Amino acid sequence: MNTPTDHDRDDLRYAEYVLGVLDADARAAVEREIHDNPQAAAAVALWQRHLLPLSEDIPAVAPADYVWARLQSGLGLAPDIPAPAPARRRLWDSLPLWRWLGIGASMLAAACLVMLFSTPLPAPITVGAQYMVSSIQQDNGITGWTAAMDIQHAQMVVVPATPAAIAGDRSPELWLIPPGGKPMPLGVIARDKPTTVKLRPDQLANLTAKALLAVSVEPAGGSPTGQPTGPVVAKGPISGA
Amino acid sequence: MSSSPAEREELSRILVAAGHGDQRAFAELYRRTSSRLFGVCLRMLRDRGEAEDTLQEIYTTVWRRAGSFDPARASAITWLVTLGRNKAIDRLRQHREAPLPDPAIALDLVDEQPSPATDAELSQERQRLERCLDALEPQHKAAVRAAFFSGATYNELAAHCSVPLATMKSWIRRSLIRLRTCLES
Repeated sequence: MNTPTDHDRDDLRYAEYVLGVLDADARAAVEREIHDNPQAAAAVALWQRHLLPLSEDIPAVAPADYVWARLQSGLGLAPDIPAPAPARRRLWDSLPLWRWLGIGASMLAAACLVMLFSTPLPAPITVGAQYMVSSIQQDNGITGWTAAMDIQHAQMVVVPATPAAIAGDRSPELWLIPPGGKPMPLGVIARDKPTTVKLRPDQLANLTAKALLAVSVEPAGGSPTGQPTGPVVAKGPISGA
Repeated sequence: MSSSPAEREELSRILVAAGHGDQRAFAELYRRTSSRLFGVCLRMLRDRGEAEDTLQEIYTTVWRRAGSFDPARASAITWLVTLGRNKAIDRLRQHREAPLPDPAIALDLVDEQPSPATDAELSQERQRLERCLDALEPQHKAAVRAAFFSGATYNELAAHCSVPLATMKSWIRRSLIRLRTCLES
């Protein structure tokens, strides 16, 4: 039989569980008690009501649209369910964007401008993770291309920076590489002018901060197999703008 | 939590509908609550990619387990934030075998001024909790806040504050006991 001291000690442990200070083993033990013992479950629920109001202090941040796209495909939801659009900050208020643009990424700025002028102007222009960017670097450390992705309009603009020369009968091809996944072809890109790539929903769903963009050298017109056949000459991580 | 009773009831209905497999209700639930939960994930995980993966995991679980939500026992937002924090803490525990230097925890500890919103915008529960937190010693209050927002273990918190583990445990345990007395009075 539990003594009052045991009761107090258990209750403190439930409070520690809700606060989040227990290690993995101690958490697992509390979770088993919640599952097996209604009294434990009620005590934990009471602490949640006590402490969870603290979470009101945390500013809400709208997730990128592709998170919903990933959920929708992962759960097999009907594709006609409209994408929910949480409120977003305005583009011009985005400090990270300006910081990013301020670090000498002039080619990226060019890519953003190309995109802003080449798409029908949405009102208001918004950002957050609606735009993503990647600096695609070659093995010598020099940026070959920069890519700016406009999630809302499902397109990417790839602007050549200083791509290394390749043989005339070959084409650079762009790939999206999801973490732990196979490269997805995004098509042949130009070495002398910006290329606009339209993104399909399955490609959009894989545009995450953990994915990579890569460029391989392929026969003219692109890989005949749907997977890279030539050497990868440049790659870069994707990040939110 | 800072919403009106009518909004709470509506959110509760949406969550129950999602629990019955209503996809539109699920999309509406995501629209209303994902920013709140993503903020929580970002704050704890401090990495956008990790936070996105965790958010996806959270809503996958919501879709599968919303049927177990009981409106008589908790508000929808409490149920969701609890689920979200648990997923984020599980992920922290998987990745952090050893305490990492984390300046943000130290920041939480000195960042005494919480309220992002004026009192009027905070729920009654939040205001009440603040009054009880204010009755603690400032250092203890800061430790409780840092623990809640970071999801760090006792060991990690002690390391970041450069205090012995026993000291950190005693600060937080005494605070929790005093908070319970204050909140249940």
